[in-house]
Amino acid sequence: MKYLIMCEGPNELEVISILLRNSCLRISIDDLLGLKPYHARQIKNSGIVQNELNMYSGLVKIIRIGDSLNEKLIIPMMYKDKIIEVTKYCTKPELEMLLIIAEKKIKEYDKVKSKMKPKIFAKQNIMCGRNYYKNDSKFYTEYFEDIDLLVDSIKEYKRIKGTHKKDELYLADLLR
Amino acid sequence: MKLLFVKASNFKNCEDNFSIDLVAKSKKTSEDKEYELQEIAQDLYVYNTLAFIGKNASGKTTAIELLDCCYSILGEFRLEDKHYSYDDVQLDMIFYHEGYLYRYMTTLKSDGTLGNKAMFTKQHLYKKKYFKTQLKKIYNMDGYMEITDCGELPDDTSIVFFVLKKKVTRALYFDSFGEGANTYQLLFRVLKNYEISNDIFLNIIQIFDENILKIEKVDEYNYRLFYQKDVKTLSDKELVYLLSSGTTKGILLYTLMVASLKYGFDLLIDEIENHFHKTLVENMLSLYKDKNVNKNHASLIFTTHYCEVLDLFNRRDNIWIAKSDGKVGLSNMYENYEIRGELLKSRQFYNNTFQTAVNYEELMNLKRKLM
Repeated sequence: MKYLIMCEGPNELEVISILLRNSCLRISIDDLLGLKPYHARQIKNSGIVQNELNMYSGLVKIIRIGDSLNEKLIIPMMYKDKIIEVTKYCTKPELEMLLIIAEKKIKEYDKVKSKMKPKIFAKQNIMCGRNYYKNDSKFYTEYFEDIDLLVDSIKEYKRIKGTHKKDELYLADLLR
Repeated sequence: MKLLFVKASNFKNCEDNFSIDLVAKSKKTSEDKEYELQEIAQDLYVYNTLAFIGKNASGKTTAIELLDCCYSILGEFRLEDKHYSYDDVQLDMIFYHEGYLYRYMTTLKSDGTLGNKAMFTKQHLYKKKYFKTQLKKIYNMDGYMEITDCGELPDDTSIVFFVLKKKVTRALYFDSFGEGANTYQLLFRVLKNYEISNDIFLNIIQIFDENILKIEKVDEYNYRLFYQKDVKTLSDKELVYLLSSGTTKGILLYTLMVASLKYGFDLLIDEIENHFHKTLVENMLSLYKDKNVNKNHASLIFTTHYCEVLDLFNRRDNIWIAKSDGKVGLSNMYENYEIRGELLKSRQFYNNTFQTAVNYEELMNLKRKLM
């Protein structure tokens, strides 16, 4: 059995890759289909994910990473027997919540959250070195160079955002 | 160095101005940028994988031979020992190298001696700085300055030497014929020249035959094969017979792939499905699309009849359809066809959207004659 990690966007992919590189997750790179996580929203639109599914003849559990993951994952007929589980791990409303938490600006953000998305807030308030956040996945690599900061932010996110739906797990649930 | 475009006239039985454009054309999603494309300069994207499809005798091999011709010139500055006529072949290619775009034009002639070499005549080499704002202008002559007075070279050496300077493998071409017993000599040359580790070579062998622990070269024509409890010394012909030509070709092709990924040169394969199992083809595609593996901008370029492979392509602009109506022509699945994106490419292939279906009437004619 292998895990297929499907990330909704390049930033989620970067965060998961950082966690995997630092062995912070309860699954390791060796447990992953294709030995890596993928940036893919739907299987049918992703040649690379189909490619990996075709090569492996065992069973697969899908781990979806995204902010809200409202879009239902459609499992193509040919993979129905192979894919035995789909689990969602969310960082809603947006992944940038982790940056805001890491920066200890959550109270500041709470004051404006009704009119400002986390992404916009992060672009205006969060810097790494001399650069403001620009929705760029490299920013996450540099900002979370200290892996403990990322892990603590993920844990803190679960502590303060305990309002996910039943089928929406937290990134913290994936940590070791 | 990356080849971006080639246009040829009088090349084999191709139509005039036979062109292959290797620059990504259609919309580039963030997923495409991660898996399907490589950014060789800012906003200049080329493909990780490219395919030529078409029915038998449609010109797929001709297309890939044209690319091989260009890569030979760009890699060795020469063209020799090819199976086609060089006479009056007009080439126009654009390549990117170290921040500049180069446009090279020449007309080939056969060497007057007995050697199978091309001579380069009417050569022109132009250069311009690459700017992302002028991405759409890479094909027109605006801004290109001719490089002149660069010096004298023998007729059989191209003036691209003055730009690229060092002989480097730009691509390797694996045709559908294979090398027979010579495969093992070639294989060990590849291992040595491209410094492929023993560990990787053993891994490749075990993909194809789990019972073999090691292959060692004894001399030019003899090899030693190590099994769990047995060692056999065999000639190259015996080795091909023992391991099957499929395994032999597969081991060589996978070794070439490793070299291509390691050094970032392109791998050209004629009839990829001829060489091995579907999963191994899928694995090759997956490795070229993986930036952790394909770190040096290698591309996998292949011809195939096996249209299910195309379903693994997220894009359409890296698929060309070859057709021969007296002369060989190419059309691009993105630029020349309006097709429904939601249908599988293989399904459209079988629906004859690209006029590539086998002639059913002729199949039935044969059946009638056999009844």
